Amino acid sequence: MITLKDKILSRVMKPTRYTGGEMNAVTKDPSSVDIRFGFCFPDVYEVAMSHLGLKIIYHTLNTREDTYCERVFAPWEDMEQEMRNHGMRLFALESGDEVTRFDILGFTLQYELSYSNIVNMLDLAEIPVLAAERGEEYPIIYGGGPCAYNAEPIADIFDFFMLGEGEEQVHETMEILKAWKKDGKKSKKELLERLAENVEGIYVPSFYDVDYNEDGTVKSITRNNPHTPEKIRKRIMRDFDSTPAPDTIIVPFGEVIHDRVMLEVMRGCLRGCRFCQAGYIYRPLRERKPETLLGLADSLLSCSGYDEISLSSLSTSDFSGLPKLTEGLLKITEEKKIGLSLPSLRIDNFSLELMERVQKVRKTGITFACEAGTQRLRDVINKNVTEDDVLASTNLLFRGGWTNVKLYFMIGLPTETDEDLLGIPEIGKKILDVYFAIPKEERAKQINITMSASSFVPKPFTAFQWFGMNSREELRRKQRFIKENIPSKRLRFTYHDDSTSYLEGVFSRGDRRLCKAIITAVKRGCKFDAWGEFFDFDKWMGAIYDCGLDPDFYAARERSYDEILPWDHIDVGVTKKFLIAENERAKRGETTPNCRLKCSGCGAACFNAGVCVEKRDKEGAVE
Amino acid sequence: MSKFILKYGRDDRVKFISHLDFVRCFHRAVRRSKLRFEFSQGFNPHPVMTIAQPLPVAVTSEGDYMKVGLITGLSDEQVVDELNRAMPPGFTFYKARRLAAKEIDLTKINMAEYVAEIECTQRCDIDELMRNKELIVPKKTKSGVKDSDILPHIYEIEDLGYTDGIQTVRMVLSCGSGYNLRPETVVAAMERYCGGFKAEFTAVCRKRMLIDNNEIM
Repeated sequence: MITLKDKILSRVMKPTRYTGGEMNAVTKDPSSVDIRFGFCFPDVYEVAMSHLGLKIIYHTLNTREDTYCERVFAPWEDMEQEMRNHGMRLFALESGDEVTRFDILGFTLQYELSYSNIVNMLDLAEIPVLAAERGEEYPIIYGGGPCAYNAEPIADIFDFFMLGEGEEQVHETMEILKAWKKDGKKSKKELLERLAENVEGIYVPSFYDVDYNEDGTVKSITRNNPHTPEKIRKRIMRDFDSTPAPDTIIVPFGEVIHDRVMLEVMRGCLRGCRFCQAGYIYRPLRERKPETLLGLADSLLSCSGYDEISLSSLSTSDFSGLPKLTEGLLKITEEKKIGLSLPSLRIDNFSLELMERVQKVRKTGITFACEAGTQRLRDVINKNVTEDDVLASTNLLFRGGWTNVKLYFMIGLPTETDEDLLGIPEIGKKILDVYFAIPKEERAKQINITMSASSFVPKPFTAFQWFGMNSREELRRKQRFIKENIPSKRLRFTYHDDSTSYLEGVFSRGDRRLCKAIITAVKRGCKFDAWGEFFDFDKWMGAIYDCGLDPDFYAARERSYDEILPWDHIDVGVTKKFLIAENERAKRGETTPNCRLKCSGCGAACFNAGVCVEKRDKEGAVE
Repeated sequence: MSKFILKYGRDDRVKFISHLDFVRCFHRAVRRSKLRFEFSQGFNPHPVMTIAQPLPVAVTSEGDYMKVGLITGLSDEQVVDELNRAMPPGFTFYKARRLAAKEIDLTKINMAEYVAEIECTQRCDIDELMRNKELIVPKKTKSGVKDSDILPHIYEIEDLGYTDGIQTVRMVLSCGSGYNLRPETVVAAMERYCGGFKAEFTAVCRKRMLIDNNEIM
C-alpha cells in the first residue's frame, strides 16, 4: 500500500529522521496507557538524538506502564514544506500520530537560539502558541533544561516549567496529571495549581505578575495565586549514585552528532568559573560510583552494539573515581574493540598514558579551554588554568605524537583590555616555541595550532549576570585586533559569528516582553537560528524593534545590584549574595578555590548533597 | 571462523535506511548478538563482509544476500535466530549457510526480480510495450545521463493487475555490476512509450536475486 508518508519521505533528505523504529525505541499500545507524552526537542533529529537528557527522561517515563513517551523533533526545512503542503501535522516518531491531542508535551530548552523552533513546532501541530489561548482540549505544554532558569522570553508560551533535574519531577507530574484527567480535566488552572503546590521545582509563569518601571526594568514580580510558592527552588537528585540511569539507549539508523554510549559520571562542577552558567546551576557536584558506572557501561554497550563510549561530565578530571573507572572501562574496551573517549580532561601524565591505552584514538584534536589570554583575566573569570599548565601539556602532547592542538578563548569578558587580547596570539607563539624546542626526532612532524574565539554572552545565575555585553562593533574590532597580531602562519585563528552571540545575549537575560518579538520573528520566517544557513539577523532585529523593544536594553546594558532581575523569583541554591561577592572578587582579580579545597559558601549546601557533604578517606578519595 | 551466506529482507518500516546506514546497523546487531565478526587483517581491521547489491532507499526486499565472516559454533538455524533477535524490527533473516571456501560468488549476480506498485493515471499495456523494437530511455551512468536501450535487459515483465489507480507489475531485470536496470527506469519507459500513462509514484520490492536465472540458495 502506498501512503502519503511514503511519498513524502521518498522526496526528503535523510528520511530516517522521521520514521522511528530504531533499535530500543519503545513502542506501546496507545489505548493501553493513561498519558500520551511527547518529548519535544526543538531542533533536528541528529542534534536531538545526541542529547543525554532525552535518553534519561524517555526511558524514565517509559518505565511507567501508564505513560507512553514518544519523541517529537523539528522537521528539517524540506520536510516542513512537504508537511505544510499536504496538511500533515507535527507527529511523534514512535507511533507516527499527530501530537495535537497528546496529553502533555515537554520541550527541552537547551539553547536560546532554539526558541523560534518551539513556536514553529507548535504551529505545525496546529496548537495555539500562547498558553492563555489553549484550552483543556490541547496538550499541556511545559519546558525544562538549562534555559528554563530564565525562560521569561518564552514564559507566555508555556503552561509551566520544571526547574532542575527531572528524574523525580516527571513521575510526580504524571501522577497529578493522571488524577486530573480522571477527574474530568476540569480546568487547566486547577491542574497547574495542583502541580505548583505539590511538585517542588514547578514554576507556573501565569501565577506571577511582572510589572515594569518606566525605564523598562522590572518593578516587581508578584505572586497572584496562593497555591504557588513565593520563590521556586530547583530540584536536584540528592543521591546521584542511586538515581536511576537508563540501561538502554536508542540506536539511530543515520549518524548523529554524539553517536555513542554516554556515561554520566557526575553532575555539577566544583570549579566555579565565573562566566559558566552550568557551573552554578548544576551545583552541588555529585558523583556516581565507579562500580555503578561500569555496570551501566556494560548493559548500554551490549544492548546497543555501539563501538564507542564516552564519559559525560563538566570536568572529568575532578571525578574522584576516575582511575578505578578507567581501569574497569579499559578492560571492557580492549576486549571488545571499543573506543573510549575522554572529554573534559586535564592533560597530565596520567591522562596521556590513559589516552595511549585507549583504542582507536586518532592522535589529533586535543582542545584546551584557556578562555582568556592572560593570567590576570583568567583570574578574573576564575578559570583555573595557568600558562605553565598549557605549555607543559602541549610539550607532553607533541612528544607523544599528537599533532592538532585547539585553544578556546572568549572575547568580550569583563575587565578585558587589549593587552589581554594580545595574550591570545602570545600563547600560540609560546606553544610554537615549545614545539620547536623539542628535538626533531622526538616530536610530531607537522602540527596545527588553532585558536578560536567566541564572544562572551553573560548568563543569568552567574557572577557576570549584571555585565553589559560588548557591542557587535567592539567584538568585531577585537576579532580583527587578534587576527592582526597573529605572529606566524602556523597559527590559525578563527572566531564565531558575533550576531548569533548577540541574539543569544538578548534572550539569555530577557524578560516576558520579548515573547511577542519571538512570535513575530517566526511569522516572518525565522527558525533554526543555530544553523548558519537559516539565521537571519536583520529579520530578528526588525521583529524586536517592531515590537517596541530595544535589543541593547537586554544584551548591552550593565545592571546594578539593586535592580530586580527577571529571574529573581527562581532559586537555584547559589545565592545572589554569593554571586555579587564573586563579581566583586572578579573585579579585584581574586580567585575562588574549588569546592573540595574550601567551601566558599555559595548557598548550594542547602541541598545537603554531593561535594557539600562528602566524606573523604586519608588519600582524599571520596568514600 | 567461517564464511556465511545470509539471505535477508526488509519491509516498509525500515525501507528508508541507506546502504551505509544498513551496514552500520548490521555491525551493531552482530555486536549485540552472540556472534562475533571475523576481522580483516591489517592496519585498520574491519569486519569481513560483502553485500551482493546495495538496496536503494525506499525499496523493500524479500531476497537480498550478503557474505560475512563470523566466529561462532552455532548452527545455521541458530545464526538466523540470533540475527533476527538482534536486528531492529522490520528486517528479516530467512536463511544462513556456512560456506566452503570460494563457494558462491555474489559478484556473479546478474538478474533480479521486482514487484513495482505504480500509482498511475491509467493502465499501461505491458504486451504492447514489449512489442517495441527498442525502449530508449535516459539512464544514469557513471559518466552522466545517457540514452540507453533497456529492452535487452528486461528478461520478464508481467502485469499483475490494476486496482484503484495502482498498477502492479512483476519484472525480472539485469542487475549487478555489468548492467543494472532499476524498475523506476522501466516505469520511465512505460511513460515514454505508452500514450497517456503517467506514473505519480512507484513503490518497489526486490523479490529475488539470481545468477543466470538460478536461485542463489
